Amino acid sequence: MVFSVCWHFLHDREQAEDVAQEVFLGLHRNLESIQSAAHACHWLRKVAVQRSIDAGRRLRRRPQVALAEVAEPAAETAVRDPLLGETLRRLIATLPETPRSVMILRYQEDLDPAEIGQVLEMPVATVKSHLQRSLALLREKLARRGVREERWIG
Amino acid sequence: MDWLEQELKTALSREGPPAGFAERVIREAGLRAGRPVYRWPRWLAAAAAVVLVAGAGLGYREYQGEVAKERVMHAFRIASVQINRIQTHVREVAR
Repeated sequence: MVFSVCWHFLHDREQAEDVAQEVFLGLHRNLESIQSAAHACHWLRKVAVQRSIDAGRRLRRRPQVALAEVAEPAAETAVRDPLLGETLRRLIATLPETPRSVMILRYQEDLDPAEIGQVLEMPVATVKSHLQRSLALLREKLARRGVREERWIG
Repeated sequence: MDWLEQELKTALSREGPPAGFAERVIREAGLRAGRPVYRWPRWLAAAAAVVLVAGAGLGYREYQGEVAKERVMHAFRIASVQINRIQTHVREVAR
């Protein structure tokens, strides 16, 4: 979970590993404040997102994955295009920090908007708004690359 | 959940850490636990707090003294003006 959050956020395995390691070492230092397994899980998610944001800022990662560099899926690919997953991951890496965190917690961790709000300390309405806007943006970017629902259905 | 959301779930599925990650974290935790951590002595922190509070208290008392002095001087000035007026009035009546 922790490594995956960092990896999807930073899109860099080495950095993700370093950040994930720091998160676990942070947990080790704060073990006495952890009250239950659920609390540990919440703590890990929250700190993983925060540390990933910090690392992303430090490394100025975002400009390195410009939208223009995102590979366009080939025109005659099959249903469930294997490139589409990579395209989506790269498109998510270009989102600003907050919507990126919201999308990762929603689709990787399968959290509902209320749970995401708790982790990121923001109102549920804001989480929903980030989700809707990010989905609309991704649809638009994918449509521009010729990826549409009809093609996915086949 | 529509097609895009399903694709996102697949694309953002959990990725496992590289091999040996857990061992590296445990080793690093052990190394860090062995390192001496420099902490400020408690008495030094307490002394700094006392000095800070005492300094602030003295500064406040000094300020209060200045305010009181300024008030007394102002009262003297008013009294002086009043005495001058009375003196002038007495002189005029005496003539």
